[in-house]
Amino acid sequence: MLPSSAPLHEALGLGGFNFDNTRRNQVLGAQGVAAPRVKKTGTTIVGVVYKDGVVLGADTRATEGETVCDKNCEKIHYIADNIWCCGAGTSADTEATTQLVSSQIELHRLATGKAPRTITALTMLKRKLFQYQGNISAALVLGGFDCNGPSLYTVYPHGSTDSLPYVTMGSGSLAAMAVFEAEYKDAMSVEEAKALVQAAIMSGINNDLGSGGSVDMLVINKDGNTVLRNVVRPNERKFRKAGGYSFPKGTAKVLTQTFTPLSSLPIDVTTTRSPAAMEVG
Amino acid sequence: MASALDYTLPVGAHGTGAADRLAPQLLDAAPMLPDPSERCPGVEKHVRMLHGTTTLAFKYQGGVVVAVDSRASAGAYIASQTVKKVIEINPFLLGTMAGGAADCSYWERYLGMRCRMFELDQKKRISVAAASKILSNITHSYKGYGLSMGTMICGWDESGPQIYYVDSDGDRLHHHLFSVGSGSTFAYGVLDTGYRYDLTKDEALALAQRSIFAATYRDAYSGGTVRVYHIDQKGWQRMSETDSMELYFKFRQEKA
Amino acid sequence: MSSIMQYNGAAIIAMAGKDCIAIASDKRYGIRNQTMGCQMKKIFQVGDKTFVGLTGLATDMQTLDQKFRFRSNMYRLREEREMSTEAFANMVTSLLYEHRFGPYFCEPIVAGLGGEDGKSPFLCGMDLLGAQVRTEDFMVGGDCTEALYGLCESMYRPDLGPDELFEVIAQCLLSGVDRDCLAGWGCVVHVLTPEGVTTRDLKGRMD
Repeated sequence: MLPSSAPLHEALGLGGFNFDNTRRNQVLGAQGVAAPRVKKTGTTIVGVVYKDGVVLGADTRATEGETVCDKNCEKIHYIADNIWCCGAGTSADTEATTQLVSSQIELHRLATGKAPRTITALTMLKRKLFQYQGNISAALVLGGFDCNGPSLYTVYPHGSTDSLPYVTMGSGSLAAMAVFEAEYKDAMSVEEAKALVQAAIMSGINNDLGSGGSVDMLVINKDGNTVLRNVVRPNERKFRKAGGYSFPKGTAKVLTQTFTPLSSLPIDVTTTRSPAAMEVG
Repeated sequence: MASALDYTLPVGAHGTGAADRLAPQLLDAAPMLPDPSERCPGVEKHVRMLHGTTTLAFKYQGGVVVAVDSRASAGAYIASQTVKKVIEINPFLLGTMAGGAADCSYWERYLGMRCRMFELDQKKRISVAAASKILSNITHSYKGYGLSMGTMICGWDESGPQIYYVDSDGDRLHHHLFSVGSGSTFAYGVLDTGYRYDLTKDEALALAQRSIFAATYRDAYSGGTVRVYHIDQKGWQRMSETDSMELYFKFRQEKA
Repeated sequence: MSSIMQYNGAAIIAMAGKDCIAIASDKRYGIRNQTMGCQMKKIFQVGDKTFVGLTGLATDMQTLDQKFRFRSNMYRLREEREMSTEAFANMVTSLLYEHRFGPYFCEPIVAGLGGEDGKSPFLCGMDLLGAQVRTEDFMVGGDCTEALYGLCESMYRPDLGPDELFEVIAQCLLSGVDRDCLAGWGCVVHVLTPEGVTTRDLKGRMD
């Protein structure tokens, strides 16, 4: 995109990346100014195929440098009802990439009138990531259940993929894989698979500094999906001061005070949209 | 890069004349000595402590006025708001601190000892010139080793009030007015505007306080309490210690 | 190497109360160590029930504010209704992510009231690429976030009324900026309730 067309491009709401600030930021970088820290999910994400489907698992810690900036974030992203995707790497990248593929899959579903297949989502993801040559740092675990049964994939930031019965990703992948290598069996029951995923994530939470918080899991099988959010919460805060701190009114010295009543525009609910309008997503 | 533990500082016990005792190959190696702040990650937070500071001293008809702020910072973090940046070397000598807190306090304490030794030896008080020369000899002998100090040695001796500026580059300057630290430009702005040799004592103290206050207001790395000292022929006296927030609202009211 | 986030300096907190939110910022405008002014606007109201607090590089803060206003005004004209706080946050995310490979050096905090009843608190923080962190309690931003996190973690309580919430957020911010060289010089607190916005200027240290 040419810089001169940027305002028009923006006004029209056309998509795509915008490189207007890139040169400025390079100049600032050359002057020895450090770019800010970005939110990362130094993560443990796993997936395992069992007898009737797939179980995905993730921890819930997001970090910014050495600060934990979200203690309970959601790393299992929705692609379609039967396809979900765990993300590790730069938060913005995993979030944006999965959202984009999710909407493409939905349009594809509407166009074909068929339930989306996991392999379709996989291809969209790997094409996107390969196109950007690893600059979009998303490391993903993709799981789904479609007409071909359960499937489980890993996607690396450069666009390579793997199809395996049990996979781990993120900084806690070694800790989690140790559990899988020791305990995995073919054709497990759903309860066995859930217990195994939980143990793998707990291993990541306990042994990897980049992972922490609680355990999130998700089961996908022919009946649909079951979201198991925060199934284990091993890091609940136990040391809060009873009653908390309270400050009497007037503790902070106020120099000036103004009140502005809300001047809500009258909201016109009778829009031109027909009652049978199609709802998407 | 060699391990941090491999490196030992090749200097004598007391520092003075250390350069003389260095073997030639060590002198050759001197430019390659590791930056102390890189020897262990994160240490610059401590070594660079107090880099943000405002201190000033000036001579006037009634003696010397010394004023400082009290903030210690490590990066943007405020490590303390109650640091004492005036070091009381002996009843007639004051030193100010800017740069590394440990460097300043250690070497000015050492200077106090040397001044006392001089007194016992010579049966008379050391001149400010001689005292500041001892310190500048030390900083000069350690030049390039990573000391960080910018200090004013102020006092009253047989020749009257004196101020010397000594820093870790080995500089030693004699003048009637100095300000040192990241907020010094802001302090100079007020100080140069209001300064006259024939200020009264009260005017001089107020000017010093107002100058440091201006620096606490404008400079991010200066703040806390404004401390003012006065030196005359009877020695130094602590004149005031005022919170800069109190001063801000006082000055604002006076303006209104 | 100094971070670009410490070039101008800022501190912002947003907190959720019962049917209300509060968002507060310091007022310093500085260039590295030099304080240029202490009247700087860092919290912007977008529509009736949405605030966005911006920290980071001042030039990008002001550019982004203008882009946000443009987009939310266009939305109001097209849709004949206010943008919900959540929609606004998603718009901010997509705008920031559009600049993934040449980002604005700015970390926004979006706070507002929304939901079915129009009075449920909504808080959302973002990094400079637009990755959202949604919380139900508080969100902090700026260059002393470590201090602010610590203060909010201990002083925040859920379900506070607007007056209590004001005192808590004020103490968190005032104490936080007192440990930061690059923020402070006065604070401003906005408390949003379904009735309106109360804006208070606080007395704080000026050093």
